[in-house]
Amino acid sequence: MDAWWDDVFAAYALNIDDLWRRTICTAPSFPAGDHIRRKHRQRETNVTNEAKATKRGAPKEKFNFFQDQRVRSVLYQLLTAGIIGWMVWYLASNTAHNLSARGMNTGFGFWNVSAGFDTDFKLIDYTPGIGTYGRIFAIGVLNTLLVSFLAIIVSTILGFFIGVMRLSSNWLVAKVALAYVEIFRNVPLLIQIIFWYMGVFSVLPVVRNSLDLSFGSGWMTLNNRGLYISTPLPGDLFWLTPAALVLAIIGAVLFRRHARKVQNETGRQINTLLPSLAAIILLPLAVFLATGTPLAWDMPKLSGFNFVGGTSLPPAFLALLISLSIYHAAHITEAVRAGILSVSKGQSEAALSIGLSPGRVMSMVVIPQAMPAIVPPLISNWMNVVKNSSLAIAIGYADIVSLFMQTALNQAGYAVEMVGMTMGFYMVVSLTISFFLNIYNKRVQLVER
Amino acid sequence: MAMIKAEKTPERSAPISESSVIGWLHKHLFSSAFNTLLTFVMLYIIYLTVSGVFSWGVLDATFVADNRRECYDNSLTGACWAGVIHWTNNIFYGRYPREEIWRINFGGLLLVLWMAPLWMSRVKGKVLVATTTVVFYPFLASYLFSGGDKGFFMQIMVAGAMTAFALNMANLLAGLFRSQGLNSFLIKALGQENASDKTQRNILLLLAGIVFGVAFFWQMGQTLQPIVWTKWGGLFLTLVISGVGIASALPGGIILALGRRSKLVIVRVLSIGFIEVFRSVPLITVLFMATTMFPLFMPEGFVLNKLVQVIIAVVLFNACYMAETVRAGLQAIPKGQYEGAHTIGLGYWRTMRLVIMPQALKYMIPNIVGSFIGLLKDTTLVSIIGLFDILGMLRSISKDTPWLGLHKEPLIFGAILFFIMCASMSKYSRHLEVKLSAGRTH
Repeated sequence: MDAWWDDVFAAYALNIDDLWRRTICTAPSFPAGDHIRRKHRQRETNVTNEAKATKRGAPKEKFNFFQDQRVRSVLYQLLTAGIIGWMVWYLASNTAHNLSARGMNTGFGFWNVSAGFDTDFKLIDYTPGIGTYGRIFAIGVLNTLLVSFLAIIVSTILGFFIGVMRLSSNWLVAKVALAYVEIFRNVPLLIQIIFWYMGVFSVLPVVRNSLDLSFGSGWMTLNNRGLYISTPLPGDLFWLTPAALVLAIIGAVLFRRHARKVQNETGRQINTLLPSLAAIILLPLAVFLATGTPLAWDMPKLSGFNFVGGTSLPPAFLALLISLSIYHAAHITEAVRAGILSVSKGQSEAALSIGLSPGRVMSMVVIPQAMPAIVPPLISNWMNVVKNSSLAIAIGYADIVSLFMQTALNQAGYAVEMVGMTMGFYMVVSLTISFFLNIYNKRVQLVER
Repeated sequence: MAMIKAEKTPERSAPISESSVIGWLHKHLFSSAFNTLLTFVMLYIIYLTVSGVFSWGVLDATFVADNRRECYDNSLTGACWAGVIHWTNNIFYGRYPREEIWRINFGGLLLVLWMAPLWMSRVKGKVLVATTTVVFYPFLASYLFSGGDKGFFMQIMVAGAMTAFALNMANLLAGLFRSQGLNSFLIKALGQENASDKTQRNILLLLAGIVFGVAFFWQMGQTLQPIVWTKWGGLFLTLVISGVGIASALPGGIILALGRRSKLVIVRVLSIGFIEVFRSVPLITVLFMATTMFPLFMPEGFVLNKLVQVIIAVVLFNACYMAETVRAGLQAIPKGQYEGAHTIGLGYWRTMRLVIMPQALKYMIPNIVGSFIGLLKDTTLVSIIGLFDILGMLRSISKDTPWLGLHKEPLIFGAILFFIMCASMSKYSRHLEVKLSAGRTH
């Protein structure tokens, strides 16, 4: 009985298969057909031996080697892999030949060799002549990350602010925001960076006539050599103050949770903002005063021709930070605006009709729904901030490209390795960022369901 | 009892708060105390900015001077536009010989005329026009710009370009005055409407051949003075790099995007790897790679000039961004289109060429314009590796002895130039987007 069924089935399958091949499958690719055929093949292999024996009697199907879907796909792939492999081999062999012909160094031996040049801006200790190229790489990475991190924060805040301005009901405010976006988006970033560097920070007063940005206290001064900020010097019991701050923040969070719980259970609203703010400000302040103000300031002082002490930020850093922030804020503005507009008007109307104040409508109804639309472009903007910080090379800020890929490469000459390491750094950064973006996207999608 | 009014109530005009200027002002500027405050703050900010910029840039500015000292003598607080005006030719054409500048202008004019039919609804055969632009114009332009001896291949291409241009213009006229394609116009003019298709085709080919022959023999006697690429510069060089960049990035992007969506594993993995690598690094590193590593990649003795290196880098970089644009366009095509194409027995390439791409490309146009804007802005980076594009020229003004230290004015001039180009293009792309999405039914 079973054998009989299998027999019929095999014949059926064979016919269908043959039909496909003769009529439609002459086209090189046919996903639907391929799918069905594969299914039938599977069934074909399931038939018993007896059925296979009877199959011999059926007309033999014509098998055209180059018309077969799978053969073709394997061939195409082998061809592609072959061409790419050959290209890689060709380039690599040329490179190896050229490197040896020019007597250039290869390998990563430079990592522990000391570099002979100095940089004007570094976050870790480094002495020219002693510090290694490995250290130079680390300085470059840290400088890039520092300026990108700060620019990301500033541009995001500025972008959100102007994005809300752009949607203001006040016509003038909206148009001013529009003008900001259009002007800064349509001018190349490089021109903006050079303008801030050459046109603003290089024409500031000389050191003797520094501008005081802190109303005469000398806490923060600006001149054509950069921005000088005094550095806090923590005393003995200073660690208690940040500890108190952390404690106050934890307390505020717990209080907020409690308030939310009370509201959920009884509907009574507790004002959390004022008490939390008071705790966060007053508690650390009280601890700070009680421990006897254990904080001194290392003020930048004019000695000779330059300032000594404090922290100094070079003009190139400031120019890069400001132009990156302004340029990307204009892009983020558009992302924020598009995200808010993507929330349907009915949502905010409904929220208003149940008596929420406009501020609450924004913070509790519109923004939470707009976030899934805002975050992906926002993060891709952050990625662009990191990438665009490489334009620092035009004004000589010691980021990874100008320090490692240019200066170090010119000094040591490991072209392939150094370019590869620099590109590798950027790839790692963007892969990390897109990894977190993917996690966020998954979470948002789950919330939607 | 019902009350019915016999006459129609006269229409009342809109309340004054809705229709008048005062109503508008109240609604948009002074609707609340806070809004009123905001309005005045904004007005003050606008006043400060505009008056400051106006007095610096126009009222106190110096437009005619021979050097920076004279600018200062004229006014200390104003802009010194004289330097920029002095350098105008350099900013636009670089160090291209002055008496040959007509070649650049002529090349630009040709491109405008060549592409103009694409925007005219009465002209037929737009696909052919666009194809000839991509296939022939680059050769004609490159010969116009660089000059020198033509090899045999170049002679054919230049003659072909002239033929294509002449036919294009004739087609434009036929379209404008008769609203028909050049081919049907010619057939009608020769009275061959009733001839067979084959005869008609042969007649047209013969005519095109005659035009080609005339163009070929004419161009044999013409030789332009050779100009090395190092003399190219300014806005001209920026437009050449970004124009070649976008024109070559589009086919590259289409191939990469198809590869990324392919069912073949190896092809897909390679495409994804290539796209993601180039998208995750900054352009400047790619440019550096091009200038430091391309010489190593090439066989010994084979030297690429810097311009070609830069263009290759720009094309590779942009092809990867274009691939994502194309992919977005492909994803917007509903699945029914693929299935429909398969049902009538079209293979992969014919499905793509005849069904998917024509629809997808149409919806991609706004994004392609957007990529071109991005590319145009990014092209300023080539000044970092030592090409004298527009930014390189603007920066070298401050190194010219009479204008030593003149930084702000050239940069602002460049910013205004870029603003005009980019803002008008993005405005146009938004207009296109609205126009294209209006015709969309799904």
